[in-house]
Amino acid sequence: MRRARPLLESLVAVGIGLIAGGALMLPFRYHPLKAYQALFQGAFGTPHDVMETLAFATPLMLTAVTFAVGVRAGLFNIGAEGQMYIGAIGAVFAASLLPLPPGLHILVATLVAMICGALWSLVPALLKIWRGVHEVISTIMFNWIAFHLATYLAIYYLAEPGRAERTRPALPTARYPILAEGSTLTAVIFVAILFCLAVYFLLWGTRMGYEMRLVGENPEAARYAGVQIGQALLWSFLIGGMAAGLAGASQIIGRPPAWSLYATLGNVATLGFDGIGVALVGRNHPLGGILAAILFGALQHGGRFMEYHAGVVSELVRAVNGLIVITLAIPELWTLVRRRLTL
Amino acid sequence: MGPRIEMRGIHKVYPDGTVALRGVDFRLGPGEIVGLLGENGAGKTTLMKILSGLLQPTRGEIRIDGRPVRFRNPADALRAGIGMVHQIFTLVPPYTALENIILGQEGSNLWLVKDRARDQVQRLLEEVGLSIPLDTPMELLPIGVQQRVEIAKVLYRGTQTLILDEPTSALTPLEVDELFRFLRRLKEGGRSIVFITHKLREVLEISDRIVVLRNGRVTGEISTREATPELLAEWMVGRAVVPRVSRSPHPPGEPVLIVRDLEVIGDLGLPAVKGVSFEVRAGEIFGIAGVEGNGQSELAQALGGLRPIHRGEILLDGKPLPALTPIEAYRRGIAHIPEDRLRFGMALNFEVAENSILSRQWEPTFLRGWGRLDWPRILAFTAALLQRFQVIAPGVRAPARSLSGGNQQKLVVGRELAKEPRLILAVHPTRGLDVASTAYIRELLVQMRDAGKAVLLISADLDEVLELSDRIAVMYEGKFLGVGPVEAFTREEIGLMMGGIVPQGRAV
Repeated sequence: MRRARPLLESLVAVGIGLIAGGALMLPFRYHPLKAYQALFQGAFGTPHDVMETLAFATPLMLTAVTFAVGVRAGLFNIGAEGQMYIGAIGAVFAASLLPLPPGLHILVATLVAMICGALWSLVPALLKIWRGVHEVISTIMFNWIAFHLATYLAIYYLAEPGRAERTRPALPTARYPILAEGSTLTAVIFVAILFCLAVYFLLWGTRMGYEMRLVGENPEAARYAGVQIGQALLWSFLIGGMAAGLAGASQIIGRPPAWSLYATLGNVATLGFDGIGVALVGRNHPLGGILAAILFGALQHGGRFMEYHAGVVSELVRAVNGLIVITLAIPELWTLVRRRLTL
Repeated sequence: MGPRIEMRGIHKVYPDGTVALRGVDFRLGPGEIVGLLGENGAGKTTLMKILSGLLQPTRGEIRIDGRPVRFRNPADALRAGIGMVHQIFTLVPPYTALENIILGQEGSNLWLVKDRARDQVQRLLEEVGLSIPLDTPMELLPIGVQQRVEIAKVLYRGTQTLILDEPTSALTPLEVDELFRFLRRLKEGGRSIVFITHKLREVLEISDRIVVLRNGRVTGEISTREATPELLAEWMVGRAVVPRVSRSPHPPGEPVLIVRDLEVIGDLGLPAVKGVSFEVRAGEIFGIAGVEGNGQSELAQALGGLRPIHRGEILLDGKPLPALTPIEAYRRGIAHIPEDRLRFGMALNFEVAENSILSRQWEPTFLRGWGRLDWPRILAFTAALLQRFQVIAPGVRAPARSLSGGNQQKLVVGRELAKEPRLILAVHPTRGLDVASTAYIRELLVQMRDAGKAVLLISADLDEVLELSDRIAVMYEGKFLGVGPVEAFTREEIGLMMGGIVPQGRAV
C-alpha cells in the first residue's frame, strides 16, 4: 500500500499533465483528444513503435539512475551529461579500434565505457569529499570539459577517414544485436534494465546502500552510526558515473544506424540532462526511473505522430511534452525543496 | 521616571503545545542593566525573542513609554529601538566588519554607500567605545571581536535597548572583562540592556537588577545590591524535593569507565571540556548536571567516538581506549543514547526496522554474504525490540516518521540497551517526552543499573539527575565543580554550582 503511494501520485500527475497539455492546445484550435490519440498510437500503436519508444528510453533510464543514486546519498549530481560523453568516447575507442572476438568485444566496450564514466565522476567526487566543493559546480564544469574533450577526440583521433562528421563506427563484433529487423532497439536495453535492478538491489538490499541512503537522509546520524561518509559519497558518484558511461555506450554500440559518435555529439547530447527529469518523475527510484524513461521515450517517439497525424506544430508538441514533464516532476521536486527548507 | 519598557502577563505556547511562558511581567528602565537568569528552558530567550519581535506572545501586552505596541517582526522592534544579539551569530564570514555592520541597511548597493557609511560607523564606534578593524573579513577575527561586530550591527540601527543572549558563553575571561566595561559605558550613555545568562557571578557583577525565571514564571526579582548567590540559586532551581526512584540497594562494583584529565575541543576550536576526571562503576548511575552548553555535549560525543580527544585518557574496564570511532566504542561495550534523536539518533524517513539497526548495520548478525542485509533477521529483531521496549508502531516497515516522539525515543533507547553494553551513555534521554514515556525510560535506566551496568546520565533536567543518580557531578564551563554522592549536596548547592559558584566549604 505504502509503497504504491508514489506510483499513484505519479499517475495522478500524468493525468494532470495531460489535461494541462490539452488546455495549452485548445487556444490554438487543436483537438487535444485527437492529438493524444496520435501520440499514444505513435508511441505504442505497433510493435515497431513500442520498440522505438524503448530505444529512446534506454539511455534515459540510465542517466536517471545517475541522478537518483546521487539524491539518495544527499547529492545533486548533474554530471551525467559529461560522464556520458566520456563513456561514449570510451565505447568508440574500444569498439572501433580494438580487434576482439565477438562477445568479448561487446563486453569490453561496455565495461570500458562504464569505467570511463566512473573515472569522469571521480574528480568531482574527490573535490566534494576532500574539499567540500559543491557537486553542482564541479559537475557542471566537468560537463563542459567533457564536451570539448569528447569533441576534440572525436575529430582528431577517432574520426572516420573521409567522413569527418562522425567517428569510426563500432566494429560489427562490438555491436549489440538488433532485436527486430528495421528497429533501432538492441539488446543493450537488457543491460540497462539489469543495471537499474542492480542499483535498486544495492540501495535497499545491502549495507553499502543502507549507508549511502543514511548519509542522504541524515548525515549526522550516519556519522553516529559509524558510516564512513566520504566512502558512501564516493560510491554514489562512481555508480552514477558507471550508469552514465553505460548510457553513452548504449548510443554507440547499441543504437543503429550510426554505430558511432557524431562530431557534434548530436546523437548523445542532452541525454544526461534529460535523465534528471526522468529521475524526478521516477521519484528517484531506479525502477521508477525505468517507467519514467519509457514515458519520456513515448513522448519523444510518439510526439512526432502528434505532428503529422493531428497537425500539431512541433513547437507546441514540445511545449505540451514539457508541460507534462514539469507536472510529473512536481511531487518529487517538492519533496526535495521541502527537505532543503526544513533542514 | 517610569520604565521604558513594560511587558505584562506574557504567555507563550508554541505550536507544538509546549508552554514556554506562563504569565511573565518584566520591565526595564532607561540606563538600566537587567540580568535575566534561569536554567535551560526557563523561558529567558523566549521572553526576549518576544520583546525583539521574533516571536509573537500568545497572550499579554508590551508597552513602550506607556504606549502599547505590537511587533510583527524584528524590524518593528528595531524601529522602536529594541535589538537583540543572539547566541548564534548572524554574520557573513567573507564580508568585512564594515560590510556586516551596514548589511541590510545599505539601500540598493552595498559598495556605493560603503564610504558614506564608514564615517557614521566610525563615529558610532567612538561614541560607544568599541574598537573593530572595519576592513578585515569576519572569518579572520576572533570570537570576541565578532561579537562586537554583532553588537555594533544592532547599535548601528539606532538601538536604545540592547538584548544580549548568553553573550559570554564563547568568550575568554579577558574578553568578558572588555565586554562588561563596554556595557557599563553604554549604560552611562543612557541605553538599557538585558543580559540573559545562567552564570551567577556575571549577573551579580554587571547588572543593576536581577529577574529569575523558572519554568516560564518569574520566581524572583531583586536589586543586585541585595542579591546573594544562594538566594538566586534557590530561585533558579526551586526547592522541590524530588522523589527518588526505588532501586535495589547494593554497593557499586568495579569502575567500568575511568576518565582522566579529559580535554575535548568544541566546534569553535576552543576547549569545551577542560580536564575532567571521573569514574562510573558497575551498578551505579553517575549523573552530570549543569546548564546546557557547558561542555556536556562534547564530553558525551568524545565518549561515543564522535569527537576526538585532545588530551587525557579514557579507560574502559581498566584498558585504555584508543582513538575511538562510534563502531569501536560500541565494540567495546559503550551504548550511546544521543542527545537529540532527530539529529543523531535516527532517520525519520527510514523504516522502523532500518532505524532499529542504525549503528549496527555493519554487524555480521544482520548481514549475509556480499554485504547483503539479512532482512528476515532484521525484521524479526525489530519486532522483538518493539515488544521488549513497548514501542508502539504501525509496523516494522512503517517510516519512523509515523511514530510519536515518545515511541521514537523508546526505539532509540531500546536499540541501544539491546546492545548489551557495559556502559550506557544517556544524554538528555527524556527531553521533550510525554510523562509516560519519560517514566518508562527512567525506569529502564534504573533497571540497567540494578542489572550491574554502568550508566552515565547527562541531563539538563536537574530533577532527572537528582531522581536517578547515585553520584553526581555539576559541570560548568567545561569543568566539574562538584563530584560526590547525590545525598551530599543540597539542591541549593547544586544550583550555585550550575551558576558557576562553588559553595563555601566545598573543594573540588
